[in-house]
Amino acid sequence: MKRLGLLASAAVVYLLAAWMVAPGFYDGFTPLLPYNWVCPPPQAGSNQQPSSGHQVIKVVTGISDASSAFTDPDTQVVLGFNFGVFDSTGKTSITVDIKPVSPCPKAAGITFATNTYLITADAPLVKKATLVMRFSDLVPAPSTVYYATSADGPWTSIGALSQAQPFTIDTSIDKFGYFAAGYPSSAIAPSGGGSSRLLPIAIAVLIIVVIVAGIPLAIIRRRHAPDDGEDEDDSEP
Amino acid sequence: MLSVLAARPAVRAAVIATYILLVEWARALASTAPHAAVPVLILGGLALVLAGAGWPADRLGLGRSRLGLRILGGFALAAVLLLPAAARASAAPILPAFLVLPAVVVSVGEEIAFRGALYAALENLGGAPVAIIGSTALWTAAHALSHPPEFLFAVAAAGLLLALWRWACKDLVGPIIGHAIADLAL
Repeated sequence: MKRLGLLASAAVVYLLAAWMVAPGFYDGFTPLLPYNWVCPPPQAGSNQQPSSGHQVIKVVTGISDASSAFTDPDTQVVLGFNFGVFDSTGKTSITVDIKPVSPCPKAAGITFATNTYLITADAPLVKKATLVMRFSDLVPAPSTVYYATSADGPWTSIGALSQAQPFTIDTSIDKFGYFAAGYPSSAIAPSGGGSSRLLPIAIAVLIIVVIVAGIPLAIIRRRHAPDDGEDEDDSEP
Repeated sequence: MLSVLAARPAVRAAVIATYILLVEWARALASTAPHAAVPVLILGGLALVLAGAGWPADRLGLGRSRLGLRILGGFALAAVLLLPAAARASAAPILPAFLVLPAVVVSVGEEIAFRGALYAALENLGGAPVAIIGSTALWTAAHALSHPPEFLFAVAAAGLLLALWRWACKDLVGPIIGHAIADLAL
């Protein structure tokens, strides 16, 4: 009984400790950084506004330098530029800006899983640059990156490369404009809904299984209790 | 070498603790590299399983007696571990499909390493209290690099619960099942 009491006490301590931090049990597979939303979904807790990015890229002997631009400090959007990706004719530097778009654009038939960002530069691209967008663990993973020349659309899927890191989506871009990661609305349940509803049901099923199967197992074990005597251990914490 | 370790419980416990800590920290650091998460998590989990090498299965808590109760205990542990997330399901994250296998491997590896090998080594050294407190402390320290500081109290509490189960039921099957289900759900 002492062991049962200690176990029950530990369970209560755990429940209290886990209640203080969402989502509770956490083993490091989900992102460490919370996503900063322009328009937070209902399941998001406290939210900070997303940050912007600004980068000045040098042009050396007519060729733009290799560089990266990112939203600082949340790094939710990272752009990578190789040497000479810009048309840098007549320029000594090129400025790139990344800004989260507010209010959040809507697109028929598309569910955005990230903020929409307006990416601008004062020189056009002549080669492809890489775009990495981080997304939240609170919503289903986006399947593609969408591009538009206006916040009102039309939105075009520009695809996604293989995933470099968990909770990021990568693609390559050859022009600037509005970018957001998402998926066709018909492809998946609205954000967070599936898992959110499933987890309480799964836990309820687990509890029922434990109770329903535990009673006969406990009765069987009690009947065979003398056979299990060798398993007892007197050590106490 | 192995005989020296076996003859000196303190040295053996220190070696196992150091090994586990290095594997966990290396896993936490390496998994942030581009394209590295899945292979690093799987390799890290397998490296943790190696910590149990050389121990008899029953010393790790992996005996087959009362298997039904052990499995049921795992379900009960999973229910407790996931209860806070289920109670506020709207905040539950979604584990991507590509992380399912790494989550299972890491869960099994962590249980064999912390509540299996390390627990057994510390129990040999100073009995159950040392095993429970020591494995919980190292479990918490091992997650210091992969978790934000505010999560560490909950991590410690989960480690204590699993270690107490290991002591009270002399069982590692339950913690493995509970840990794996909890990781898969989140």
